[in-house]
Amino acid sequence: MANAPQISTGAATAPAGKVHIPGWRRWLIRVRAYCLKEVNEIRRQPLLILSLIIGPLVVLILFGSTYVNSTPRVRTAVVLPPGGIPGVDIAQIQELIGLNFDLREVTEDRAGAEARLAAGDLDLVQVLPGNITAALQGEASPQIEFRSNAINPLTEGWIQYLAYAQVNEINKAILRATTARAQQEAAEIRLRITNVEGQALELEQGISAARKQAAQEDLRDLAALLDRLERALPPQEVLAAQGGEIATLRQRITGLQETLERLDRAIATDTLGQTLAEIARARTDLQALDGTIELFVNTSPDALVSPVTQSYTNIRGGAYSAVVYYAPGVLALLVQHTAITLGALALVRERLMGAFEVFRVAPVSLTQLIIGKYLGYTIFIGLATLVLIVAMVLIGVPLLGSWLQFAALILLLILASLGVGFLISTLSGSDSQAIQLAMISLLLSIFFSGFFIALDSFAWPALPVAYSIPMTHGLAGFQDLMLRGVAPGLWTWLGLALIAVVTFGLVVLLTRRQLRRA
Amino acid sequence: MSPNDAIRSEDIELDFGNGAGIFDQTYSVPEGTILGMIGPSGCGKTTTCRVALGLLTPQKGRITTLGRTPTAFRAEDRERIGYIPQQFVLYPRLSVAENAAFVASLYGMPAGQVRSRMDELLAFVELSDARNRLGQNLSGGMQRRLMLAGALMHDPILLFADEPTAGIDPVLRARFWEYFRKLRDEGRTLVVTTQVVSEAVYCDYVAVMRKGRILAVDTPANLRKMALGGEIIDVTLDDPDDMRRAMETLRRWDDVVKAVHRAPGGEADLHVVVDDAREWLPEVLNRLENQRPRIAIAGAAPLEVSYDEVFIKIMEQDQQRQEAQGG
Repeated sequence: MANAPQISTGAATAPAGKVHIPGWRRWLIRVRAYCLKEVNEIRRQPLLILSLIIGPLVVLILFGSTYVNSTPRVRTAVVLPPGGIPGVDIAQIQELIGLNFDLREVTEDRAGAEARLAAGDLDLVQVLPGNITAALQGEASPQIEFRSNAINPLTEGWIQYLAYAQVNEINKAILRATTARAQQEAAEIRLRITNVEGQALELEQGISAARKQAAQEDLRDLAALLDRLERALPPQEVLAAQGGEIATLRQRITGLQETLERLDRAIATDTLGQTLAEIARARTDLQALDGTIELFVNTSPDALVSPVTQSYTNIRGGAYSAVVYYAPGVLALLVQHTAITLGALALVRERLMGAFEVFRVAPVSLTQLIIGKYLGYTIFIGLATLVLIVAMVLIGVPLLGSWLQFAALILLLILASLGVGFLISTLSGSDSQAIQLAMISLLLSIFFSGFFIALDSFAWPALPVAYSIPMTHGLAGFQDLMLRGVAPGLWTWLGLALIAVVTFGLVVLLTRRQLRRA
Repeated sequence: MSPNDAIRSEDIELDFGNGAGIFDQTYSVPEGTILGMIGPSGCGKTTTCRVALGLLTPQKGRITTLGRTPTAFRAEDRERIGYIPQQFVLYPRLSVAENAAFVASLYGMPAGQVRSRMDELLAFVELSDARNRLGQNLSGGMQRRLMLAGALMHDPILLFADEPTAGIDPVLRARFWEYFRKLRDEGRTLVVTTQVVSEAVYCDYVAVMRKGRILAVDTPANLRKMALGGEIIDVTLDDPDDMRRAMETLRRWDDVVKAVHRAPGGEADLHVVVDDAREWLPEVLNRLENQRPRIAIAGAAPLEVSYDEVFIKIMEQDQQRQEAQGG
């Protein structure tokens, strides 16, 4: 047996012979012991550090550099009625439908298109009706049939919206065509109006029987033309949207038609002498209608169909690119997930390996244990966050707000997230259970923090869940500070502080119970 | 019990139910000695230590460790105690030095003291060359030695070691006991639990435990005497036919010879139980050879009964006592 060296000191000198160390210093030494242990353990895991820092950054860059559009590509086939649509060629269809949909084919084979839809080769089939052009004459109300096989509710929402937009465009095109035709007819009517106006003057002054007959025919021609014009006019809502004279066009036509009818009857019954007032009103109506029609004819069909236009200005000069916009979210997610994952394993692992027993025998307090762990993980996560921020700055993510507030918000987010992690750790019976709960918290954060889906999209029962996630507040605060350059709202600070305090209290309470059982 | 006892336990009981727990434990551990707690798995060795450490509160009885009730330990009291638990609780991703420093820091040792103490202790447990090796890369024996070093970092005067030699090879086991005896020689008190009965020989006192009770606590030699009723002289007769006469002769000498019986498995062997085998061996031989006709002796020597046999004997005696009480 090898002879082991002697050790000096011993019971005879301990502890009276030891150097006195003040209580506060011992307190700090113990806290530092836990802190250093955590930092040393983490730094021995380079893969963990890489996956925690580089991983999210690479994902962010990949996302930002490849993200092109938020609207889905809807693979579409258009089914035409047999023989196509009279007056509409395929190029027009491709131009109109291709605006919103990824048009893969135009066919008359409905069954084939629907088979491809069912097989998943297509996302949408549009069946165009044969009588679509009859809408121009207002003779029918044709319907475009949209058939999809979407399984994603968001995609389905998009398809319905795009279908609505497409039908709206078609309706506007039909209205434009209708309006143009009405304007053409109205231009012709103006000549007749001038003619009838002259004849009304003659009627007023008294004319021969032969002239009366000619006048009567002119009146009837004008009445027929007015009838045609009235039918050709765009819907009253379109005219009303123009306001002023044009809004009264249909009403004026109707009024003049009634006046012309009375004149016609007066000529037929030879009672013109008794209807001089009618003749005078007819002349006034004719002049007024002429003025209104002139206005109508000189207004562009586009202005008539779409009287309201839009003007859009982003006071910031433009929205951020996707990579920049999502950067605060990625930062908040990274900080939270790292803290929760590390925290979730911190206590359960030591509890299971029996370290709590050693801690109970040693002259350390629960507060020293918890504070030491908070400190160690905060230092590590703080450094990791710093590296990520530097990388984000290098790829152009701005920080428009106060650096001091930004640092304070990160610190608060770390503390709140560590609290959640430690709480998971105290509730878990094993490492794998802790990891599982950490993953559930990650899933909750992605869905309910406002990262991808705005909080407004949820019913109220989801909101307590959302606001109990540190990332919800961290995300809002980071977006305010980094992208808007404003201080985070009071609720952001209060929300994080509340989570940090409540979880700290629960962790102390539960760990004390577990230590007693150790 | 003496005022210099490191631990004093009187009628301690902690009943976990279903027969588990510790019962009627009365024992003391004098300062500067090694108390070995020996017994089968589940006999209450760890619970006994945990009560003495203040980790468990007894339901009955009174116990003081270093003069204070363990459940009322202050930080200063804990700083005088070291503990090696059964499980390896040092950290696999920390080096040997970091692990030892961590434990030392828990006891409030400043960095300067930690450094000098660590050099000394790593040399003591022969881990100086492995000071930068990670815990996960240590062999089982090195891990145990590291735990010992960790427990000694703050220079405790009382050390509890819960089965420190479990699952390690005999050479390392012997080395551990060498460490323990050195620590004892320096004035420290050690409480060491073990399932290896033969380790009793290294202890100053041994507590034999069964079903939560301490069946006997004494020096190893006294335990042997207690189990066997004394010490045994193994006598081999020249002629097996002399067996009856030899036994009758010795039985008549009842003021010295406590018992005589045939040795199991030997035709010409008999066991003579006396208070002190070495002292009474010549006299026993004289008595037999002075008989007429003479009883010829082929050989005689004090019998070295293993502690395993002593342990089994004590267990059997306890079993018989319980059955007698039950009957």
